[in-house]
Amino acid sequence: MERIRHFFRTRQIAVALLITVFLFVLTTLINPRSLNVNTAGSILALTSMLCLASAGQTLVILTGGIDMSTGDVMSITAILTVSILHSGLSSGIGMLAAFVTAVAVGAFIGFLNGLGVAAAGLPPMVVTLYIANVVDKLQYVFTNGTPTHTSVPNWYKQLITTRFFSVLPSILIVGALVFVFVFLLLGRTRYARQLYLTGNNPRAAFLTGIRTRRLKIITYTIAGILNGLAGLIGAGNTGNVDCGTFRDMTITTIVAVVVGGTLLVGGKGSFQGTMVGALLMIVLSNGLAVLQVSDSIRNLIMGIILIALLSLYNRERSVRL
Amino acid sequence: MLEMRGISKRFGYVRALKQANITVQKAEIMALLGANGSGKSTMMKVLGGLIRADEGSIFLNGEEIRIERSNDVHKYKIAIGLQDLSLIPTLSVMDNILLGIEPRKGLFVDKKEASERIGPILSRLGITYDPSVLVSDLAPSEQSMVEIAKAIARDPDILVLDEVTASLHSHEVDLVFEELKRLKAQGKAIVIVTHRMGEVFRVCDRCTILKGGETVAADAVENFDLDDIIFHMTGRRPEAVCQDEEDQIQIHADKVPVIETRRITVVPTLKGVNFRAFQGEIVGIGGLNGQGQSEFIRSMLGDLPIDEGEMFYQGEAVRFRMPVEAVNRGIGFISGDRNRESIFPLRSVGENIFAAEATQGRWFSHLSPKTIAQYAKRVIGEYDIVAGSTKHLANSLSGGNQQKLIIGRWLSMKPALLLLDDPTKGVDIHSRREIHRILRDAAREGMCVVYASSDNEELLEIADRIYIFYEGTSSRVLSGDDRTEEKLVAAMLDVRASACPKGENS
Amino acid sequence: MKRLTKLRLSPAYSGFLLMMISLFAYIILRGPAAFFNINNLASLFKNYTPIILVTMAQAFLMFMGYIDISIGAQLSFANVLAVNLPTMLGVPVWLGWLLALVLTMLLASLNGLIISYLRIPALLESFAMIFVIRGINLAIQPKPGGHVDPAINRAYDRLLFGFLPTSVVILAVALLVWMLLKRTTLVNHLFAIGANERNAYASGINTIRTKVLTYAIAGLFTGVAGLCYTAAYATGNPITGEIYGLQSISACIIGGVPMAGGFGTVFSALFGISFQIFVKDSVVQVFKMLPGVYTTYWHNLFTDFIILVGLVAAIFFVRRQDKHRLAEVSAMLEKRGND
Repeated sequence: MERIRHFFRTRQIAVALLITVFLFVLTTLINPRSLNVNTAGSILALTSMLCLASAGQTLVILTGGIDMSTGDVMSITAILTVSILHSGLSSGIGMLAAFVTAVAVGAFIGFLNGLGVAAAGLPPMVVTLYIANVVDKLQYVFTNGTPTHTSVPNWYKQLITTRFFSVLPSILIVGALVFVFVFLLLGRTRYARQLYLTGNNPRAAFLTGIRTRRLKIITYTIAGILNGLAGLIGAGNTGNVDCGTFRDMTITTIVAVVVGGTLLVGGKGSFQGTMVGALLMIVLSNGLAVLQVSDSIRNLIMGIILIALLSLYNRERSVRL
Repeated sequence: MLEMRGISKRFGYVRALKQANITVQKAEIMALLGANGSGKSTMMKVLGGLIRADEGSIFLNGEEIRIERSNDVHKYKIAIGLQDLSLIPTLSVMDNILLGIEPRKGLFVDKKEASERIGPILSRLGITYDPSVLVSDLAPSEQSMVEIAKAIARDPDILVLDEVTASLHSHEVDLVFEELKRLKAQGKAIVIVTHRMGEVFRVCDRCTILKGGETVAADAVENFDLDDIIFHMTGRRPEAVCQDEEDQIQIHADKVPVIETRRITVVPTLKGVNFRAFQGEIVGIGGLNGQGQSEFIRSMLGDLPIDEGEMFYQGEAVRFRMPVEAVNRGIGFISGDRNRESIFPLRSVGENIFAAEATQGRWFSHLSPKTIAQYAKRVIGEYDIVAGSTKHLANSLSGGNQQKLIIGRWLSMKPALLLLDDPTKGVDIHSRREIHRILRDAAREGMCVVYASSDNEELLEIADRIYIFYEGTSSRVLSGDDRTEEKLVAAMLDVRASACPKGENS
Repeated sequence: MKRLTKLRLSPAYSGFLLMMISLFAYIILRGPAAFFNINNLASLFKNYTPIILVTMAQAFLMFMGYIDISIGAQLSFANVLAVNLPTMLGVPVWLGWLLALVLTMLLASLNGLIISYLRIPALLESFAMIFVIRGINLAIQPKPGGHVDPAINRAYDRLLFGFLPTSVVILAVALLVWMLLKRTTLVNHLFAIGANERNAYASGINTIRTKVLTYAIAGLFTGVAGLCYTAAYATGNPITGEIYGLQSISACIIGGVPMAGGFGTVFSALFGISFQIFVKDSVVQVFKMLPGVYTTYWHNLFTDFIILVGLVAAIFFVRRQDKHRLAEVSAMLEKRGND
């Protein structure tokens, strides 16, 4: 029993992989027809998308915070992307404009998040949630409720959704690029070392001479940029881009990060873990879709998984020593 | 009436209590004495249900009782006033005193009854202000009085006061002692934990002395004199020193101190600290626990804001608002509370060693894991840290090795000033010796080391000069031949030499 | 004068100020005649009583240092139960409603138990619970709808004695209940836990019992809010109440309830939610006055934005207040020391 517990606690990525495989096999057994090239490609595409969306979340959670604005930043940059690409600019300039916009918007919102958390000292969940709210409402104002164009121009869509060998979606390349970027960021910079230290023991980090406040603001800003880019790509990957399209992704990114072995209290975790966590989430949701589970059960399962994760990995100290 | 027998408690590697005993009779005031690390506070917290003992039993009137939670304490008519206060700052004095034992009328608190109940206690303790004042609006001494009132209001048969007189003015102490005598006359058993020897002789009948977690003496107070008590507490007889602080700095007279403070005041813990430390020396800071040593170190680091006073670093007037400002100027800090303040438990040994170095340099410049590993390996070799591989998690190291790691972390930065706050607490003797050796070598190469410690032996071993803190100021500085344990002990307990010429015993 | 100083030092002061500003704007924009109209006031109270009650419940939890973001989902829980229990169990409506209330209290207590025993941080735990509760709500009633006896809706709408809306009576009773509760030991203990849990424990307080009971009381207020909602809108909706969770938290913070807990007054909650209500309406009025057509999207955006600003302002205001307080206290202590 102790051995199993120990295994659970130390090899989270392996555990997540095991569960993923288990779920996938289970789904295939229940519905053998679900095992086909199309589904596989779709799983890969959605996983890449989720990885991209969860990159920023990974960084933020490593600092011991949380980013509730992921989905809304994605939504707003997606809408902006769609309108920019349809605005008559040539595809090259349009792409560039959309890229710059996504980065700028994401950075701005992320910066605000960072200010709220680090400068004002508000609890991350609360402040990012309220900022997310405003961002959400902004979308409706821009588009007056319904965007003029609800999908990107075909050339862009093709770019994002082509499948090589009918299985590997081109979005996988984006996923790979993001992985390389985050990997370098988290593995090869001073910033990353300070990030991990701040997340693991903020007090010690402060006493050792780390500017924890500045670090957090930068982290939320970077996360915002990554979220913005996720929206840029997501616009191409989704059929229908509407106000609040990606709103529900926020919670999925959090679960992916936590399932992948990153602690909610911060200080430990990796992007590799998040990727496995993302895969698990997609396989799980695929499974639930195959089972044709009702809304109600889906929510219940999500809630129970969260509570279980929280009680395993995120408990507070007791009062009596 | 109350007997605690064979109480043992260990925190990690540290044995706070080793089969300690104490027996208290009815109608008696018992003093519980002990130097740093003697376990007296721990013992009383076991009685109060705040700490669970590993071994031992508690007997009340001959019958064994079990204390599982702080609720039980009330059931057995025991009440404890804590040194760090168990008050709720956002509630009123009245609410605090009766917290948990509020008189009720049906479902509601009976305010009238409450008022009547605490009235007499308040007046006997000289609390004349309105009891609906919030505790957070009170001065520290007033808060201590409320803590005492709270314990007394529980109408206990056994009353314990843990260092609550530390922040009281003399007239308040008088009132408290009057009350204690009154309670004694009613047949209550009272235990006071204190470091003020005067109080012991003034009001206590018996005393129990703890040393190193064990009970070493227990007898009527009249059978001891001051030197005896101090001898039991520390193993030495005290020898007070007359002196003038300015004397011993002659050897350094021409040099600019690395760090100098004047009248540093931090309300309420530091009351005007004057301090100087020079290049190449190891300056010790000693005294009983909680006399302001920790706070002083942190004020120099920039972690604790200074209310009044000045600080000079390398001759320049400075005011550090954050540790990073001090670190960037070449100051390092090593804490005794590794887990909370130094170690990053889930990060690797290599990262832990590299932590201070990680704060220097541009954020987004390239830093390969190899650089960190090499740096770490070098430090491990230099300071002989037993760590396995640099990839192992820091919390897999023993306490002593963790502390050596932290020392390595800072020494490799070649700081001009190294501040240490009780770094060898809970560290095994072997590592401790090594740490001392490392620091001595560093000082020899010119580093200025400020070393606060709760262990007298250690201070005598390692320090060139020793400042002794007592109730928020440095009361004595020992250097040269004055560095004997007897004189240290006297300074620690603020024992005044009666034979000193006037004016030198401030 | 002394009363006024007391108000200025009270944590609810920021909420009070914000409320007054927004109320002023509201009256001016709607026109005094329209505001002081009985029907207008009645309709205000009718619609907003649920969120007011929920904000009060949130305040109680915040006093203890906890936040419950799932409180809105709990309101929907009470709502769908009230609508469906009578038909599901075949019991008379009043019994069904009573059961809905009791079950909501139990659900809230469950939150308290999870937090006390599993020691999961409250914010995260309540966030997870939204999904669990939503799942349950959707299971009970997958789509909005359901039938509520029109008599109930009429009773709720009615003006007692010709001028007193039923909802106002409910609110008054709720306030009275809290005032009575404040005189019990439970509330003292609740604040103590919020201020310093270790010291509360050391003083002999049964912290687990206090926590669970406080959650139960919050559940009571939430349950009543759910019933009022059911009466007001005469329908069941499994998810629409969730937004109340966020709104109640922002209302409490704006009103000056400290997030760490330990002190506070229920009036903070009332001021805070009033601010939000008046701002919402004022924004609509302002837009009406501007040339051009603005959709509800603009209204929502500005309302949320102003609330965000109010939130940050309230936090900084309370911090400044703390600093002033500390300064005043030191001055007072010095004076006493010199006496």
